[in-house]
Amino acid sequence: MIDNLFNWIDDRLAISRGGRHLLNKIFPDHWSFMLGEIALYSFIVLLLTGIFLTLYFVPSESSIVYHGAYLPIDGQHVSQAFASTLDITFSVRGGLLIRQMHHWAANIFIGSAVVHLLRIFFTGGFRRPREVNWIVGANLLILGIFNGFLGYSLPDDLVSGTGIRIAFSILESVPFAGSYLATFLFGGNFPGNGAIIPRFFIIQVLILPLAILGLLSAHLGMLVRHKHTQFKTPGAREDNVVGTPLWPTFMTKTLAFFFLTTGITVLLGAVAQINPIWQYGQYYPWKVSYAVQPDWYMGWLDGALRVMPSWEIHLPGHMIPNVFFPAVLLPGITFTVLMMYPFIEERLTGNVAEHHLLDRPRDRPVRTAFGCAVFAFYFVLFGASATDVLANYLNLSLNFVLWTFRILCIVVPIVVFPVAYKICKELEGVPEGGKRKVHNLIVRDPAGGYSTIPAEEYPGYESIELEPVDVEKVESLTAAAAAKNGDGRTEGVYEIPREYR
Amino acid sequence: MRSLRRLLAPAAVVVAALALGLLVWSPASKPAATPGLSGSVLTAATSSNNSAQQSEGKTLFDESCSSCHGINAQGSALGPNLRGVGSGTVDLWVSSGWMPLANPTQQPARKPPLFNRQQTIAIADYVASLSSSKGFPIPNVSLKGANVSQGMSIFAENCAPCHTITGAGDALSGGINAPPLHGVTETQIAEAVRTGPGNMPRFGPGTLSNSQVRDVIAYVTRYIEHPVNPGGNGLGGVGPVAEGFIGLFVGVGLCVLVAFWIGDRTPRSPEGAEEHGGDGPEGGSGGDGSDPGGDGSASQREVEHV
Repeated sequence: MIDNLFNWIDDRLAISRGGRHLLNKIFPDHWSFMLGEIALYSFIVLLLTGIFLTLYFVPSESSIVYHGAYLPIDGQHVSQAFASTLDITFSVRGGLLIRQMHHWAANIFIGSAVVHLLRIFFTGGFRRPREVNWIVGANLLILGIFNGFLGYSLPDDLVSGTGIRIAFSILESVPFAGSYLATFLFGGNFPGNGAIIPRFFIIQVLILPLAILGLLSAHLGMLVRHKHTQFKTPGAREDNVVGTPLWPTFMTKTLAFFFLTTGITVLLGAVAQINPIWQYGQYYPWKVSYAVQPDWYMGWLDGALRVMPSWEIHLPGHMIPNVFFPAVLLPGITFTVLMMYPFIEERLTGNVAEHHLLDRPRDRPVRTAFGCAVFAFYFVLFGASATDVLANYLNLSLNFVLWTFRILCIVVPIVVFPVAYKICKELEGVPEGGKRKVHNLIVRDPAGGYSTIPAEEYPGYESIELEPVDVEKVESLTAAAAAKNGDGRTEGVYEIPREYR
Repeated sequence: MRSLRRLLAPAAVVVAALALGLLVWSPASKPAATPGLSGSVLTAATSSNNSAQQSEGKTLFDESCSSCHGINAQGSALGPNLRGVGSGTVDLWVSSGWMPLANPTQQPARKPPLFNRQQTIAIADYVASLSSSKGFPIPNVSLKGANVSQGMSIFAENCAPCHTITGAGDALSGGINAPPLHGVTETQIAEAVRTGPGNMPRFGPGTLSNSQVRDVIAYVTRYIEHPVNPGGNGLGGVGPVAEGFIGLFVGVGLCVLVAFWIGDRTPRSPEGAEEHGGDGPEGGSGGDGSDPGGDGSASQREVEHV
């Protein structure tokens, strides 16, 4: 019956051939290949919860008198955006949970994208032919950060309003074009003429999600096109992929992973309060709270703003303000170098060959040490965004903490580079490093004592080695023939029960 | 019967509210016009001018305060002159445990007060009696008719820039802290607002009227000290720092752990495979054999030629 249905569909759409091909896509088994999936699944959570929130959110700055469920704001003049966020929080059934899930999922989305990026970087997964995909990934990260910031700004609360004010100043600090850029985006001087929230809204819920979806499709499309990279496991070669086919095994795994990621988001949304805007109140330009930070993914920028000494450049007739260096130049350099890194490394090493086998980080000590040092730099900046909170909790002077971070952001990378390099070199000299330990068996001797011996030395112990099934050998067994791709790389179709030897 | 019961609950609420109002808001005697203390909202507590209490205050002051502030509160190199500061200032510093200070160079921090309420008032009255200028007396705070919405608005404008909008407190420059506002009393808030302890500005009656101070006190004691946290744990009210920590280490961390659980572990180098000649009985699933994800993947491991 189901077979008939599938046949009927296939007769008309002819999807079985391509579909079969897709279902047979091989995914490597190593856990670090699943980090990007966290980002993918939290993005799905973002889309679903975001759709729910759009149904209730009113993207307008026009002022109304709030008469809702939260007493301390009753009777205050608030924007419709803020009032509708309060209503989502207190009056819409399940609204607070969805709002909190949305916010936590955003934090997880960008966090897992960074972790995924680090995995690709340290294992050399960006090398030819995957440079373009690396650039697409970097752009996904940038769009994610932008969209996170916009989403954080939409409720029009005291804390996010301060963030928008800072963003306006950052835009203004761009030499020559700054004031035009800022007034263009905000529809006038800050705080705009009621244009900020509606504009941010349409960018946040439509334009950027579409861009992210498009880039995400390109990201995954190229992943299918290039096929996965893999670690140097037994049987893995440059010209093959060892792993698990999408259907049915990997599908099961990855669906479970989707549900667990969603579950973690629900858990956080249910037990950990995030962005309690009702405690912050409506934003007015003359109101400000201390201890205001952006969400964590903007933290390194906020930290850079904090540690930057108050230097300005005075040109004849024009002044380049201090804000420009940490908030425009630094991210500009950061993302340019990030996107150009595959080409920089190609140029420096002269290694332009295709790579489908991944490096272990220790095998490339210079790259690993460089990556660690750069990451350490941004991590210190990230920490610097909490100078006030750290000073308060550690009972230190704020000025002392700030100066500590100024020094650390120079010293830490300088220290991390040689240390990471040395660790890589030392690990290279340890042949058994990273290998699996031999099993030990606990055996009881006739006298009743216990001892441990390596499993291999135990009489009768049979070590069973799993050999990957070579598709070429069994191709004749399969009904479908191998299809030639345009680039001449063969792909097989394989429905082979794996055998234990 | 039923309608009577239906009426009973609201009636009880009204009675309870009235009783509570009477308990909390006991307006004391109308004061003489003292700075910042007029109207029925903040009223001067009746300062007992009885000599027994003042002599007790003098004894306590001489024992615990005079080593820095001087024997007649005239001040010394170690502590400021207290003549004319008013009993409200003294009450705030003593009742919050800031004073006495073990080390006069150290920044006062909140600690359990050394003196009980009656002793504190005795000291405050004694210090106030040393000068003809009365300063700011200990207020009696009445929250009757307080508007928390107004209070929140004033709080955001005047208090949040240092104490933060959630009242969590934070570090200001130069090792000075804006203390957290959890666990402060109505009287202490009024005293702090009106007298401006330490780095805090003094908000006189020209800046904030008595009823505005009342509104702030109502907001702080009801919503800052008992925040409404319907979303779960409030994470200390320090905003995105704590949220980012949770998002990264709990959110992303748990997801990575799940990936680690579902996926395969350490990749083996080819040499390693040859040396050890293989794995556990389950093939690719690692040594522990307790890895359900690994089992599944092992049984499906295949090669794709590219």
